[in-house]
Amino acid sequence: MNSKPIYSEQELVALLQQRNEKAFGYLYDNYSGALYGIVKSIVTDTEIANDVLQNVFVNIWRKIELYDAQKGRLFTWMLNIARNAAIDEVRSKGFRDSQKNQSLSENINFEGAVTAPAIEDVGLKKVVTKLKGELRVLVDMSYFQGFTHEEISKALDIPLGTVKTRIRSALTQLRTMIQ
Amino acid sequence: MNVQDYISSGIVESYVLGLASDEERIEFEQMCIQYPEVLSARNAFELALEKQAIENVITPSASIKNKIFEEIKVTVKEESQTLALAPVKKLNWAKYAAAASVVLLAGSLYFNLNLYNKNKTLQNNYDNTIAKLNDVEKDIQILQQNPNVKMASLKGMDVSPASYTTVYWDTTSQDVYLMINNLPKPASDKQYQLWAFLDGKPSDMGLIEITEKPLQLYRLKKAQAAQAFAITLEKKGRSDLSTPAGDVYVMGKL
Repeated sequence: MNSKPIYSEQELVALLQQRNEKAFGYLYDNYSGALYGIVKSIVTDTEIANDVLQNVFVNIWRKIELYDAQKGRLFTWMLNIARNAAIDEVRSKGFRDSQKNQSLSENINFEGAVTAPAIEDVGLKKVVTKLKGELRVLVDMSYFQGFTHEEISKALDIPLGTVKTRIRSALTQLRTMIQ
Repeated sequence: MNVQDYISSGIVESYVLGLASDEERIEFEQMCIQYPEVLSARNAFELALEKQAIENVITPSASIKNKIFEEIKVTVKEESQTLALAPVKKLNWAKYAAAASVVLLAGSLYFNLNLYNKNKTLQNNYDNTIAKLNDVEKDIQILQQNPNVKMASLKGMDVSPASYTTVYWDTTSQDVYLMINNLPKPASDKQYQLWAFLDGKPSDMGLIEITEKPLQLYRLKKAQAAQAFAITLEKKGRSDLSTPAGDVYVMGKL
């Protein structure tokens, strides 16, 4: 990033809450690339990824009141909005393509989902590929595909408690990799 | 609980990456308030994650920024109700054009005013909902801080796998609270009923009056002993409420 930080995070949030367009432009210039990175690691199709990114920023603009600084940094909040929006997009498409009116746990094709990834060599996704086999699959399914621990437990036939402890252990490894 | 063990358990990463369950999330937020070292571990991971993301940007196509600004400006215009009037050329039909523009202006003002009022109502509803949600969150935090309160997550059964509710049971006062995280709206002739199980036998914990509000906390009958809880969907107006007859929607052990 070559643009100089002209706002502190606190100032930025305050201005955004007053619907300041200049501050919003600054937010876009400084964070769109990072958020696009997470969207692209979940959504393969560039056009759909563009739509998702557009919705993400419109939602940030509209829902900035919901941001609570006590619960985390602004970027973390935006990152979660972007991740959720991308997963929702992929999942709703999955629903459209596969059988309708069926329960999620029974009909999602986990095998295909794991072996048909989006971009592999960007950002967090690249770090995740360094995890060993099973841990990588678990993080991929939970973080990049949004499956709940229960769904993963059923799909991979691993006890729920084990799914949880392994994901936790994978995440602590991830932390040491990015620090 | 050892705070260092808690920090290194992976909860920090789960929370920040949005993978923690509702209960874990609420507990973690509480821990951040109580223990500065938990808060600083969260901050450190958030910063590392942000730095990692900033170093790995993919620049989106330049047209997206314009589209976003066009979309948000629509909202801004609705709020500010400003109107720009184009100059009317002095031709024979100028006065008709002027008259027409006055009519248009009046119509447009009326339209904007309508939008403005709608916006205001929506904002009020929204504020009310947020305030109510905050109240519920406070109640839940009070419950969770009480060491005598046991919790059971009731997970969706086959009839409704996405359903999810939580029971808080105060073992001292024997009060039972039910939080409905997700439960389908029942047909008008049906009603949910909560059950407590002891040694496999159900006992009636009361009927649940579902309201439209999100994330409601319901207080039900007191329970002296229980090992599990479940919710069934029953016909309204049953004469004997002591045994369940309908489908089980959610169930969970303490």
